[in-house]
Amino acid sequence: MIRLENVTKKFGGFTAVDSLSLTVPKGEFFGFLGPNGAGKTTTIKMIVGLFAPTSGSILVNDYDIVKQPMEAKQSIAYVPDIPFLYEKLTGREFLYFIGGLFKIPKSTLHDRIVELIDHFEIGNWIDKRTEDYSQGMKQRITIAAALLHHPKAIIIDEPMIGLDPRSAKIVRNTLHMQSQNGISILMSTHSLPVAEELCDRIGIINNGKLVFCDTREQLQLDKARYDGKFESVFLEVTKQ
Amino acid sequence: MFFHILHYKLLSFFKTAFDKRSVSIVRGVASSLVFCGFAYGAYTFAFSSTRFMLGHIRTGLYLFHTFISMLLFVLFVAVNLGNIIVSYSTLYRSSEVGFLLTKPVSFTTIFIMKFFDNFFYSSTTLFVVAFMALLGYGSYFGYPWYFFVGVMLFILIPFMFLSACLAVLILMAIMKIAGRIGFRKVMAGLFALYFFFIYLFFDSSNPITMVEKVNRYYPNVDAYLSHAAPGYLQYLPNQWVAQFFFHIARGEVMNALPYAGILLSFTLAAFGLLLLVANRFYYRSWLVSLDVQSATRKIYDPAHRHFMDFQSRSLFPSQIEVLIKKEFFTFFREASQWIHLVVMIILTGLFAISVSNINLNLHIMDVQMLTYSVMFVFGGFMVSSLTLRFVFPMIGLEGQTFWVLRSSPIKDNKIFLTKFILGFVLVLPIAEYIAIASNIPFISKTELRSLLLWFGVFNAFWISLTMVSFNLGFGGFFANYLERNPIRAASTQGATLTFLATLLYLIVIVVIILVPVSAYFAALFQFKIFHVKMLLIAGILLAVISFILSALGFIVGLRSMHRDF
Repeated sequence: MIRLENVTKKFGGFTAVDSLSLTVPKGEFFGFLGPNGAGKTTTIKMIVGLFAPTSGSILVNDYDIVKQPMEAKQSIAYVPDIPFLYEKLTGREFLYFIGGLFKIPKSTLHDRIVELIDHFEIGNWIDKRTEDYSQGMKQRITIAAALLHHPKAIIIDEPMIGLDPRSAKIVRNTLHMQSQNGISILMSTHSLPVAEELCDRIGIINNGKLVFCDTREQLQLDKARYDGKFESVFLEVTKQ
Repeated sequence: MFFHILHYKLLSFFKTAFDKRSVSIVRGVASSLVFCGFAYGAYTFAFSSTRFMLGHIRTGLYLFHTFISMLLFVLFVAVNLGNIIVSYSTLYRSSEVGFLLTKPVSFTTIFIMKFFDNFFYSSTTLFVVAFMALLGYGSYFGYPWYFFVGVMLFILIPFMFLSACLAVLILMAIMKIAGRIGFRKVMAGLFALYFFFIYLFFDSSNPITMVEKVNRYYPNVDAYLSHAAPGYLQYLPNQWVAQFFFHIARGEVMNALPYAGILLSFTLAAFGLLLLVANRFYYRSWLVSLDVQSATRKIYDPAHRHFMDFQSRSLFPSQIEVLIKKEFFTFFREASQWIHLVVMIILTGLFAISVSNINLNLHIMDVQMLTYSVMFVFGGFMVSSLTLRFVFPMIGLEGQTFWVLRSSPIKDNKIFLTKFILGFVLVLPIAEYIAIASNIPFISKTELRSLLLWFGVFNAFWISLTMVSFNLGFGGFFANYLERNPIRAASTQGATLTFLATLLYLIVIVVIILVPVSAYFAALFQFKIFHVKMLLIAGILLAVISFILSALGFIVGLRSMHRDF
């Protein structure tokens, strides 16, 4: 479960996120949309502890990310928009590295890594250094690393960037499966069809404020009010 | 085209340099103050040293300029080695080069731009130090203002420029040969040859032997005693500069000018040759560098395990274990890191071997005192350089991958402490080795044999602790997570400021130890009473100052890790 209560983030005089309140219950797949610079990545970075909120509180699986960061981080997984990895490590080494950070015992870690290598079809290049990987390979490794410790919530920023159709399908299926298994997912994306396909609920942020938040079913009614396209709804609610 | 690119590079530079945000202004003012303080310190040190050597202990003009020649040799080697290593990154691994190569810009234009970028970027601090040292030296002789401007423009900058030109010529030769026999073999062969010649130089121009030879002509020690020096020295640029200064000091301008002429001619010739070689070979050598990089790409066999392998068991808790292993692999799989470390360890070894073999026959308190202080400062300088190069960038080099650690359930102080311990484990043995080696000449013939040695070992511990924590902490404070090149990360404005601060710390330490050590030498050579308590008080003072600065490094570093990422 992810809960944001009146969260604000200011950079000097600029307010990136403005009194944002949002709850993603257990097992919900939440799509987080918005134009460039709307505050999506800032919000995500606050949820995972990379940014400190200026005010408000963020609870991740009932842990406050500011006051109980270790417990909160232990229970979530984060996949950034650009999957920067340690270039000199191989994919397998990176997975072991992450496993160590999450204190997963070596005996179970080994089996889990084998399982994920198989699931993400990364066995052919897992023992090459990540500096030789394509964007899609890096993304798959990053998502595999995020799932190592069986998180209760996944925060994922633009997961489909740079993925070939096969990789995109693997990622979509994986996220859908995780959601079915009761994992809360907050996914930021620019892809409206992906959001429509995967998400139970969709929120749109603009200028740091949540300007739209509805379930997939409600979205169909909203679409009907325009020309039947989600794109038209998006453009209308994010109009300056 | 060259000026078009230069225009935009300067525009970008000035926009960054004259950032009007309050934080940047405060940082800029603080930087300027530290720079001014350091420049003044360099001036005072040069002036006092010149007055002490020529006025107080009367070494004579010839011997004094021979010492200057040796210092210039060190400067020449430092610029040369620095440019070989940095140029590899800027000329062959820079993304800017890759970008410009896809545009209608000639290879020579790209080369010249990157070469000058590299030279001025990495040598700015050396220019300031060289100019202030020149000012201090020249003030002793009362030279007019135009002497300083002229010497800087036509002697010192060309001297450093010649060194940089030779460095890039060597680098292109390395790339050429590496294409045929492999990068590692070429580097190993070249560095072995390079260090062999450095060793030969210091071995054949032993300062103590020089002092003994020149003192045979006492009191005529201001004369031109070139026969006291090995003949090959006249072919070295450092000797041309030193001879220029010597003749100017004797008022023999006409004898000095030919040396300036030789230096300028060789510099121009080296630059011309560099352009010629670059025009024919830069692009081809750039392609070779791609082959060299791809040759390092390999598939690791997970079944082939060693003790540092991630799959191997460890005595450490899992978070510490993976942090150590990650640091190990990211360091030793990056050629510019381990090659530079090997170079610095060899240089340190050469220094330590040279100083431990010095036979101090002159039982004069001032000479012993001066030699001890110079060795102490030089040893401290080496530790300071080592920490700047390898410890300062440790946090910044996490780069944009820092999200991995920052979003993981690991405490910031654990990350910081692991990096600190790794840095300390690297620096402490080297610092202790330098301390022991540089104390050997002073303990071999005295009754108080081990006292000075233990004092040196104690100092080395505290100096290492301070240098590592200070560099790590301020490395975090000034971290630029977009800079992936460790050499450039260690040459930024923040790095320079940190380096200057550690040099100020060294000066304070020298002042603290000077009192008991001079009393120690006075006891040895002037039979005065020496109280061990003096060393003890100096040691406590040194430990307290070091502890405070180490704590400051820790606080600054830890706070920097809490910043938004």
